[in-house]
Amino acid sequence: MAMVDKKSSAGTETVVPKQTLAKRLDRIQMHIRREWQIYLMLVPTILWFIVFLYKPMYGLQIAFKDYSIFRGIAGSPWVGFEHFGTLFTNDQFIRAVKNTITISALNLIFAFPAPIILALMFNEVLNASYKRTAQTIVYLPHFISSVIIAGIVITAFSPTAGIVNTVMGWLGIDPIYFLTQPEWFRPIFVGTGIWQEAGFGSIVFLAAIAGVNPSLYESAVVDGANRWQMMWKITIPSILPTILIMLIIRIGNIMEVSFELVILLYQPATYETADVVNTWVYRQGLQSGQYDLAAAAGLFNAVVAFVLVMTANTLSRRFSRTSLW
Amino acid sequence: MSGVKLEGIVKRYGAVEVVHGIDLEIKPQEFVVLVGPSGCGKSTTLRMIAGLEEISDGECRIGDRLVNRVAPKDRDVAMVFQNYALYPHLNVAENMAFGLRIRKTPKDEIAKTIAETAKILGLTEYLERRPADLSGGQRQRVAMGRAIVRHPDVFLFDEPLSNLDAKLRTQMRAEIKRLHKRLGVTSVYVTHDQVEAMTLADRIVVMADGNIEQIGTPMELFNNPANVFVAGFIGSPPMNQFEATLEDSDAGPIAHANGTLIQLHGQEALRGSAGRDVIVGIRPEHVMLSAEEGTASIPIELDLIETLGSEALLHTHVGDVPFVAKVETHGEIGHLQGINALHVKPARVKLFDKETGRAIGQAA
Repeated sequence: MAMVDKKSSAGTETVVPKQTLAKRLDRIQMHIRREWQIYLMLVPTILWFIVFLYKPMYGLQIAFKDYSIFRGIAGSPWVGFEHFGTLFTNDQFIRAVKNTITISALNLIFAFPAPIILALMFNEVLNASYKRTAQTIVYLPHFISSVIIAGIVITAFSPTAGIVNTVMGWLGIDPIYFLTQPEWFRPIFVGTGIWQEAGFGSIVFLAAIAGVNPSLYESAVVDGANRWQMMWKITIPSILPTILIMLIIRIGNIMEVSFELVILLYQPATYETADVVNTWVYRQGLQSGQYDLAAAAGLFNAVVAFVLVMTANTLSRRFSRTSLW
Repeated sequence: MSGVKLEGIVKRYGAVEVVHGIDLEIKPQEFVVLVGPSGCGKSTTLRMIAGLEEISDGECRIGDRLVNRVAPKDRDVAMVFQNYALYPHLNVAENMAFGLRIRKTPKDEIAKTIAETAKILGLTEYLERRPADLSGGQRQRVAMGRAIVRHPDVFLFDEPLSNLDAKLRTQMRAEIKRLHKRLGVTSVYVTHDQVEAMTLADRIVVMADGNIEQIGTPMELFNNPANVFVAGFIGSPPMNQFEATLEDSDAGPIAHANGTLIQLHGQEALRGSAGRDVIVGIRPEHVMLSAEEGTASIPIELDLIETLGSEALLHTHVGDVPFVAKVETHGEIGHLQGINALHVKPARVKLFDKETGRAIGQAA
């Protein structure tokens, strides 16, 4: 017997028959048979998700166990939330959480708007060849390995031969060993991130700008708007949905500060401001062999990121009608 | 209100010339429609008037002012675009107010103008809605509202109805016509739809390949097309056209087309043109079912009858060339089945030179 779904429309009630489960499954089967090539192309991605994202979730349980590599995951005894208790009383972990949030907040404030500003600037460049050249130059750092990027940064800020200290020397300023001083780590880290990724990140926003209906600009020109007004009143509002989607993704990754770059740039002298959750997990898990504690920290990270992305998505949907799902 | 005057307007993109020196004078308060097939240069011409395209050569004047080098905002024109160009992030009121805000019009004046315009266009209850929440017709009205609130000297319409369905197009056409009567603003309207052109225009400018083919009132173009292009473009269904050779007879000139003889009594100017190759043009609407005194008869074999309700289209051939007649049904089509001849008054037969395609002098 078909189920019914009552929908109220303009004060009247209509009865809409609901598909039975069997019918729905039939339709899905028909669709798969008809579009099998598309489903076949989906298989590698699904496999990737299963092997690298879902299967490892089995190992998450070690966050709640006194894990021993000799007893294995199944053989290790349960300890409940003991590791989480340890984490939240560990000063170094608390410091790593604070550092992660601080660096992510700085990234949100400075690094997130950078590609948007860059894209808006590129959009205003009229000379096509100049625009292409400038774009290529700013895209390039993205394709350089983080190891080389870190090498360049370390060299640039070196107290002896670094260009920064050399220029400061010309100005009569004493050399500073930037990378050993905690207060300089965050500006250098965020600045390096902007230099490396702002150009490449601008591609998404440039694509969004390219999608803005040209008639909107023509209409604004006839109405008397100048380029500045068009940027504020047409371009930015038109790419706002893209900005919000990218912001939600960024918020979802707030606990994922670029692990490679931190590992490459930090040192014990700068742990105070540089040590983030991921590097702490790396040291505890791989270097100290405390896999269960590291798993608990990783799980904590994931739960916080999940809550943040859900909240950001809900807020965005409520206030701007734009959301990831 | 100002008129618009185009003198020798040329548009080139690099080495390619797309508008070839057109001359057009639009009188103040006149509604002029530029019509022609895709790529004929009509939208480019409109955009040159708006200032959205640079004029390669020639002069464009709005009122007495030469505006070739004047920025669009200073030309005192307002434009309605094909895809409405409504700002998706602004509601109806904000969309309509956009141009006024840019021009720093006082807020109370903006509110008053918007309220008045919304009332004229029936948009009062939609002022808070965003374009995405409006129907196609409502969006079109908002686009017009945005133009109206500016109180411009000239309205420019770039195929504003082409995104609407047939029913809505007819409705909006009437609204635009009413609005023009009410506001009396000089309007230049671009369309590829000759029905729109015929119903809206005070004068129609037919364009093809970057040239003006003919300028005239709708009825002038319908009754006296200057060439075969205009004859074929204006009218629905289009004018029947077939090749013929002129012959003289005691009763007057005759057009001989594939064994069919068409009397051209009254077109005495054609006497002595025997042997001249021409194109005969007969409007489907000018074909009659019964002979009258002096009418020319065309023997036919009926291929198909298309019933439109009060009218029917009779499809047949003159020689190998398709021929369509539009006749009244008076509520039934039974009497059309056995027809074996169609009739036309000689004065209704249009003749065009076969070589040049231009109309040959004839009685109206």
